[in-house]
Amino acid sequence: MKISKKAKMVRDKMKELFVVEKPENEEKGKRDIKKIARDFWYGKPHEERRLGDLYIGDTGLYKHREWRGFVDTMYYFNMIWLYNYGHMVMDIMKFGGGPVKGVVNFSKGLMRYRWMGQTYLTVMHWFDRGLEGMRGPILRGSAWHYRGMVCETIRQFQEMFASDKKLHGGRESEQWKHNIAHNETVSGSIFYGFHDVLEDIPLEMIPYFVTCHVNNHTVLNYIDAAQSIGLPSDPCPMCQAEYGIFVLDDYPDFAPTMITSNEACDGSVATSVIQDWFLNRPLFAMPQPMRYDDPLVQEHCQREIEECWKFIEQQYGVPFNWEMYCKYAEEQNKLTAFEHEKWDVAANTPYYPINGVAQALYRIYYSQDGNRPIWHEIDAHVRKIMNHTVKNKIVTLPKTRHRVIAWSCAPLYYSSWCTWAYNCWGLNCVINMDSLMFDQFLRTDTYEHALEDLSWYNEKAPMRAMAVGGHEHILSLWDYMERFNCDMVVMYDQLQCKGMQGIHGVFEDEFRKRNIHAIWVPHALPDKRTVSRKEIRKIISDYMITVMREEPLDPTLVDFEDDSSW
Amino acid sequence: MKIILKIFGILAAVYAALFAVFYYDLDGKFIYYIFEPMMVRRYDNMKREDTLKTPYDMKEDVMKEE
Ligand code: SF4
Repeated sequence: MKISKKAKMVRDKMKELFVVEKPENEEKGKRDIKKIARDFWYGKPHEERRLGDLYIGDTGLYKHREWRGFVDTMYYFNMIWLYNYGHMVMDIMKFGGGPVKGVVNFSKGLMRYRWMGQTYLTVMHWFDRGLEGMRGPILRGSAWHYRGMVCETIRQFQEMFASDKKLHGGRESEQWKHNIAHNETVSGSIFYGFHDVLEDIPLEMIPYFVTCHVNNHTVLNYIDAAQSIGLPSDPCPMCQAEYGIFVLDDYPDFAPTMITSNEACDGSVATSVIQDWFLNRPLFAMPQPMRYDDPLVQEHCQREIEECWKFIEQQYGVPFNWEMYCKYAEEQNKLTAFEHEKWDVAANTPYYPINGVAQALYRIYYSQDGNRPIWHEIDAHVRKIMNHTVKNKIVTLPKTRHRVIAWSCAPLYYSSWCTWAYNCWGLNCVINMDSLMFDQFLRTDTYEHALEDLSWYNEKAPMRAMAVGGHEHILSLWDYMERFNCDMVVMYDQLQCKGMQGIHGVFEDEFRKRNIHAIWVPHALPDKRTVSRKEIRKIISDYMITVMREEPLDPTLVDFEDDSSW
Repeated sequence: MKIILKIFGILAAVYAALFAVFYYDLDGKFIYYIFEPMMVRRYDNMKREDTLKTPYDMKEDVMKEE
């Protein structure tokens, strides 16, 4: 029978989109029913999974999602995919002030802002990338972390949309008048004393930072926009993207004032200057010292925080409330205490139910964002899972060959590299540098102690804590390696980070002197065009083959294309 | 009884359909091939304010001395 050209095209397309090719060397002949039944129920053994065969070209899409065994596939479908889609709709309504208002504001934001419409609807693929190959408790624990981040993201953008002048005909609503906009690098803890009366919302966290992880295409528009007005292309692309949003007029106008910071480094100062220009409203710059553990700068840093509070009091007519500060600082201490418990399990046992990417993103998100009810809810779920794995001695990543610590500033467009590295090479990324920042309890016994700890907390912010806060901090790698029982380092090499480039050679020498296996991973933070994800994988795989002389656990993951994927 | 069975049947069919969407990544395929390109076209063609025209001058009295 002759097949028409069109029918052939359709058949080929369907094949491309849905059919997983059988490996060439697979034996043909009679089927082993027992094995098929076992694979159906338990999922294929790690070495037989061939996860790379599931991808469609370089899109990162799946011909079909992974079959993880009956129980885990059903868990993924019901408790991750369905649960999260359902809860996203509920969150949109809940945080938008009711079903109708919530959906209307969400739709307006979706139509207006690129970072919204292009990025956040792809969110389930963000889960997929981070949770690929995960089974049992680590699938569950990590997925809860993702759920927390999704919920908080929706809360933030719904708050922004509800009060955004651009979406409401230029009207300055009551909600607009009660919002404080701040840099994503100003911690939410600064605002605890105003928490129940004023709403603090980081300006770039949702339009920039989270987008890079969920859909790395969006941010490129903002980086290019920054350069299009003649700004230099060599500063950190994080800072470029943050002000590119303003050049493209893609920022929501949701607050009458702005609070900025020089955290993480000098690139952020440029961001503040440009934001001051474009926002054209009262702006308070709250700098934090670079060499922050110098005792001479402590008092200065505390005064800066107090000045910031004074600025808020004057602008909004709302006094700083000490009781309110204590209440939220104590709540936050509970999150920090649980983080320490988690680190303890991660460092000393193989029973830790959180994978590398979930650990890194959740920790940086909640500690920067500050105390919110969702973090406590998620921690309660994770605590249950962790108690279960520890009590029953469940090894969560059984194919671990090396315990890895990831150090320095991470590639935002490939935060899920550690999931790939485990599936392909058995590299278990136990902890990363950004997880270890903000390691500070907030005392509330006296005002002086509170202020002292709060300024320490902010000095220990991401990147400032280790990357650019003085060489003694970045060199604390050796202590953490020992503490977390790691035998290997993945050393991020942010090519546009002047601070880290300056200390590159010292690390080279130290790795050699200490005989440590370290893989240098170059990248340009949010910009995937400088070093692609494929190149990152190749660097790691080359090291594993040529230096470690190891065989991949899943050979289909060694070399595949994903340049056009989210 | 018939009605209950009917409702149950409908729910089972919806559940199965959702599972097919999930398993064959139809949500991802829809967003990737249809929704995202459509939205990108929209954002690319959107009229935007020329933010470079924003005046840049010193603000007075941002913080009052006590
Ligand atoms: S990556 Fe480096 S250059 Fe960029 S913000 Fe962080 S410390 Fe600064």
